Amino acid sequence: MKKVFVDYKKCMACKACETACAIEHHPSHNLFEMLGDTKTQINVRVLGVEHEAFPLSCRHCSPADCLDACPAGAITRDETSGAVLLNPDMCKACAMCAMVCPFDAIAFKETHRAKYGRDVAYKCDLCNDRIKQGGQPACVEACHSNALVYGDLEDIRGGRARSGLKQYLLGKDDQMPPLLELFRELRRKECQRRSGGE
Amino acid sequence: MMKVVTVGTGMASAEFVQRLRLEGFEGPITMVGDENYPPYSPCVIPFFLAGEPLDTVYWKGSDFYERYGVTSRLGSPVVSVDPERRLITTASGKSESYDRLFYATGAKSWYLNPEWLDTSGVFGFKTLTDMVAIDRYVLEHNVTRAVVFGGGFIGVDAALALWHRGLEITLVHRNTRVLSQMTDEDGGHFATDKLREKTGINIRLKATVDGITADHGQLTGVSFSDGGSMETTLLIIAIGVSPNSEAMTGQDKGVTVSPQMLADPTIYCAGDVAITPHSVTGKDGIYATYPNAMAQARTAARHLVQGDGEYAGSINTNVLKKHIDFPIVSAGSFSGEPVTWQQGDIWRRVYMVEGKINGYLIIGDTRMSGYIFQLYRSQKRVDMSIKTIISSPKHDGYYREMLRANMINS
Repeated sequence: MKKVFVDYKKCMACKACETACAIEHHPSHNLFEMLGDTKTQINVRVLGVEHEAFPLSCRHCSPADCLDACPAGAITRDETSGAVLLNPDMCKACAMCAMVCPFDAIAFKETHRAKYGRDVAYKCDLCNDRIKQGGQPACVEACHSNALVYGDLEDIRGGRARSGLKQYLLGKDDQMPPLLELFRELRRKECQRRSGGE
Repeated sequence: MMKVVTVGTGMASAEFVQRLRLEGFEGPITMVGDENYPPYSPCVIPFFLAGEPLDTVYWKGSDFYERYGVTSRLGSPVVSVDPERRLITTASGKSESYDRLFYATGAKSWYLNPEWLDTSGVFGFKTLTDMVAIDRYVLEHNVTRAVVFGGGFIGVDAALALWHRGLEITLVHRNTRVLSQMTDEDGGHFATDKLREKTGINIRLKATVDGITADHGQLTGVSFSDGGSMETTLLIIAIGVSPNSEAMTGQDKGVTVSPQMLADPTIYCAGDVAITPHSVTGKDGIYATYPNAMAQARTAARHLVQGDGEYAGSINTNVLKKHIDFPIVSAGSFSGEPVTWQQGDIWRRVYMVEGKINGYLIIGDTRMSGYIFQLYRSQKRVDMSIKTIISSPKHDGYYREMLRANMINS
């Protein structure tokens, strides 16, 4: 089962994933119509933690605590794609899902899909329609630095193991482009400078 | 072929039946219940009263019985279970034989003055039957004001649902704060004040409803134990619940079960009527929440079909976030060393015992509640980091901890 994998060290915090996600899930599918619209739904959030950035969204866990906690029948799993999906028509925004989600991947607000004039839970849907047509999630497509990759766990794990071994034996990280390395170093220094460090 | 009968058509029974079919059980299944509805979600039913479609209460679909090939026997409660003859009998005198029984009758409202219910305008707040009756009554009598007696989870839920519908609400509770079971003193006061402020609901504490007045069987008002009275045509009573265990044990104290969810070699029992151990403390009790009921029903279904598996224990975590965006999350017990953090509408407190989380309260915001829940459930040692976790300005405690661990490792 394919999933979105995060290599946060490659995240440049450009937020292209957030923008792409918002456009994908906006009824207009248009950046300009989305601007200033408070009902815009963004299922991925780039979190700044010290000098690191982390694009946070649903991991589509299996088993998923949120799915087992939802007493409204709003959360289901698409057995073909593995996506954990939230149906806003059934959601009562009772927060049982958020109460158990370890990753803070579920938030609440009145989105365009909310029917009853109140907030609903919303989360990443893995761009289920896109991936079922053979495409990639919008966030992955928008990510220019390969911080987000849509793939099979075994492939990703194999690739990471190979590069980890290479790094251990040869002392070089072939996964990290030199420019990105430089960018990270600058960001780390800037972060230290602002917090009154070196 | 083995015949399975469920006593109750609630959430545990529905999950049990669905799981049996998913596990490949093809034998006959009969579900016996006292209400004339498909399985519905008690967590959702107040939203019907708040104005949302009735259809959404059937969380596994309104065609549940047909879809899972179930014979339903509805409209009369089961009053006796005879394990020797493997026979159950309903109040209307009908009986049903079984090979395996699944007893999940849930709980019922408990009343100090049950005779008050004979007055038109006085209702309990537990079942879909209650909701439909209240809805009809509010429409027919053009009710604009209601008194809710009881400020526990169900009472607050009732008050907020009717408030959302536009009624003027007085909530009467005998304790010093609402939700007194799922909050500590400080958190409860914080939540009570915020609920008051955000909804305008008149919350009357350290008081009870000690009398009602009626005219020709129609409610006209209530009187309060701290003096005074109020005119109202609607009184909701939600002062407590008791498990429906009488048919099994002769008493309303719940049913003790084995780790396989068995109360008897042929009777499984689950949900709000089952006494189970707490997965963290090991203490036996009734832990009446949806996720516990689901896990119990699945344990029973698996055991029936495959003959193995044990229940991992219950967890007393709950959240009240209904009709307004102001969640109150709690779990565990409120003893130990408190670590508190507050900012604006958000209030968090974690109780620490031996470096581990013993209980917690998160009010006003759900962020981080899942992370704290996982730390509590896993009983991870967090005495060094808990202060930072609950006070992270961007509510990113989990990611902060994860990246920090990663930086140390690399």
